[in-house]
Amino acid sequence: MDLELSPEDIEFRDGVREVFTREIPEDIRRRNALSRTTRDDIVASQRILNSHGLAVPHWPVDWGGKRWTPTQSHIYASELQRNSVPQPLAFNVSMVGPIIAEFGSEEQKRQFLPATANLDIWWSQGFSEPEAGSDLASLRTTARREGDVYVLNGQKTWTTLGQYGDWMFVLARTDPDAPRKQQGLSFLLLDMTTPGIERRPITLIDGSEEVNEFFFDNVRVPVENLVGEENKGWSYAKFLLGNERNGIAQVGTSRRVFADLAEAAAGIPTENGTLADDPQFRTSMHGARTTLLALEATQLRVTGASENGQASPVSSLLKMEGTKALQELSKLRMRAAGDDGMLLPPDGDAAESLHSDEAATIAAAQYLNQRKLSIFGGSNEIQRGVIAKTILGL
Amino acid sequence: MNLEFNEDQKLLFETVDAAVGRGYPAGARGEATSTERGWNDDVWNTLAELGLTGLTIDGDHGGVGAGPVEVYATLEAMGKHAAAEPLLDGVFLPSWLIAALGTGEQAKQLLPALAEGATTIAVAHAEPGRPWGSAPSVAAAHSGDGSVVLSGVKSPVRHADQASTLLVTAVDGDTAGVYVVEAAAAGITRTDGRSADWSRASQVEFAGTPATLLGATGTDATAALQAAVARARVAVLAEAVGLMESTLGHTVEYLKNRKQFGVPLATFQALVHRASDMYARVELARSMALWATATVEAIDGGADVDLPAIADDAFVFVGDTATAVAEEAVQLHGGIGMTYEAEVAHHAARLTAIAESFGGLAAARRRAVAAESALRAPSALLNNA
Repeated sequence: MDLELSPEDIEFRDGVREVFTREIPEDIRRRNALSRTTRDDIVASQRILNSHGLAVPHWPVDWGGKRWTPTQSHIYASELQRNSVPQPLAFNVSMVGPIIAEFGSEEQKRQFLPATANLDIWWSQGFSEPEAGSDLASLRTTARREGDVYVLNGQKTWTTLGQYGDWMFVLARTDPDAPRKQQGLSFLLLDMTTPGIERRPITLIDGSEEVNEFFFDNVRVPVENLVGEENKGWSYAKFLLGNERNGIAQVGTSRRVFADLAEAAAGIPTENGTLADDPQFRTSMHGARTTLLALEATQLRVTGASENGQASPVSSLLKMEGTKALQELSKLRMRAAGDDGMLLPPDGDAAESLHSDEAATIAAAQYLNQRKLSIFGGSNEIQRGVIAKTILGL
Repeated sequence: MNLEFNEDQKLLFETVDAAVGRGYPAGARGEATSTERGWNDDVWNTLAELGLTGLTIDGDHGGVGAGPVEVYATLEAMGKHAAAEPLLDGVFLPSWLIAALGTGEQAKQLLPALAEGATTIAVAHAEPGRPWGSAPSVAAAHSGDGSVVLSGVKSPVRHADQASTLLVTAVDGDTAGVYVVEAAAAGITRTDGRSADWSRASQVEFAGTPATLLGATGTDATAALQAAVARARVAVLAEAVGLMESTLGHTVEYLKNRKQFGVPLATFQALVHRASDMYARVELARSMALWATATVEAIDGGADVDLPAIADDAFVFVGDTATAVAEEAVQLHGGIGMTYEAEVAHHAARLTAIAESFGGLAAARRRAVAAESALRAPSALLNNA
């Protein structure tokens, strides 16, 4: 056993860390740490990463990929999170990009991949529907073939950051008579300037507007925007699930939240000293700390196994326990803030006039927002089902 | 960076797994702990033949001088079968104490018999109503002829009834020391019983019992004792991981096979999801135990890491999981899980006892929470701050 990065890995880490901390502007990273990242922050950050070859390292080499070792991929994901760099837009780099690279036509690759890597195109995900969440294959949006177009009708929801979307990848039903609901689905690329698309923002529990509903009324999609074969969309969507699980436990993010909170605690007064001396707080933090150690060690085991060419079935466990750990830390942050979290920063310049610490004023809203972690990307109940079926044989 | 066994360590695990597995068919822990010895003598002899009783003892004293990963592999395999042989309590822990404190002469006297598997040594540190971390109240007194006698009470002392020798912690004035006491020495009163995990344990009273200091006079043994116990705290987690994996396996099988309302229990999602949670917790605990083991290995290689602090962190995390897994396994088995006949009951009892070993979980958490490291951002890698 060995708990040290090799000199080569240290060199690699220092290289990516250099880009993350020197090239990505500090105000962008600060806003990201406070969950106040703007669209422009995400675009600027991804373009800087792309110019250093760090936006799409897991893509095929021809399209900007890196052929990193599993350890290097692990270090990359971990350093992004630790240094609070906005993640390259997942819809672009982890979802539609790899699908086009794997299943798209040469023409589609040329048209979309460079622009997708550089975030010149902002992609939205058109998967979930009101009646098709965890049970995605039940989706009802139809794409009826009429000559050289598909005519799209239906509704998509939970479209994260869809307000910025230039294009959307849509899973729609092209064969309503297919014997199984997983069959008859196709993967389409939709230009969001096409007539017949209506967007309605969804306001979330914390007041944020990061998700949307989209309504399609006879939206015409050219057939050349079909990816791969008609009615094979489900297998392409499933390809996503096996793709890019690095960083899924978000240990780097949790570590940063832990470090920020530990530092803040020394300056938060209690009746008898500071929060840093409070036994209840220290006990909770110690629990979080050991959980993060166990999670990171689990990631190291998974990385080690994939260095040896073995697939690991534990991504469900990492997703479930990693999100629980981050949620727990967001709760600790809120408890640490107490009353200071109960006057949220007003929009605009008025926020500057608040006397409470900024991290404290947003803590409760962040806590509420983080409830999403155990719901999206396969809810924790879905993950338990996956563990039961694929690992325990139940 | 790697947390895997190497080929030799894999082979070691498989060897112990196979050898112990033969001696421990279903239900064998109950039988083994009910014997006069308190464990299975055939299995013990096999362990000795395989050289495992000499695992932690250096080559000069008849052992193989293996490190913490070999200890982990051995004890995880033992735990997998809920084996009762006291490798850790009766051999490994005393061997660490003797190597750390003993004179060359004492090492020569005590270690070869341990390495052979000819005997066990019981470490007597716990005292009734006294925190594990406090100085012992057992007192060492010097008589006129220069000999030393002990007075006081130790309890519980695991497997004291079978040990040839006791290593007893005691104070001489303000100096804490570890004393070698013959099990048959004068002035010893032993009250034998069993522990929560059905293994043997005793209260041992000393009244003017002749003893010899382990090591040189005048040296305080507190740090060496702490280090050896920290090593044992990490080692016992390997056994816990083996036990938890088996406990989960038995529980999953039970959910598949047991029918109620005309259907297998596995058709009830509420139960299945609890098994999935058990799995997730066991895997995290395994990672923690492996990580702590790798850290001890790094410390042996010269890394500057606080061993007792690492041991406390890992013990707290794995101990919490061990308790939860024991509780869930019994609950998911229902009434049958409460019975002596049920294998899972023995697993649960042993997991419960592990969480209270070496001063127990609450004390470990108290130390860990008070430590400066409690608020330090965690990093599993030693050179990735």
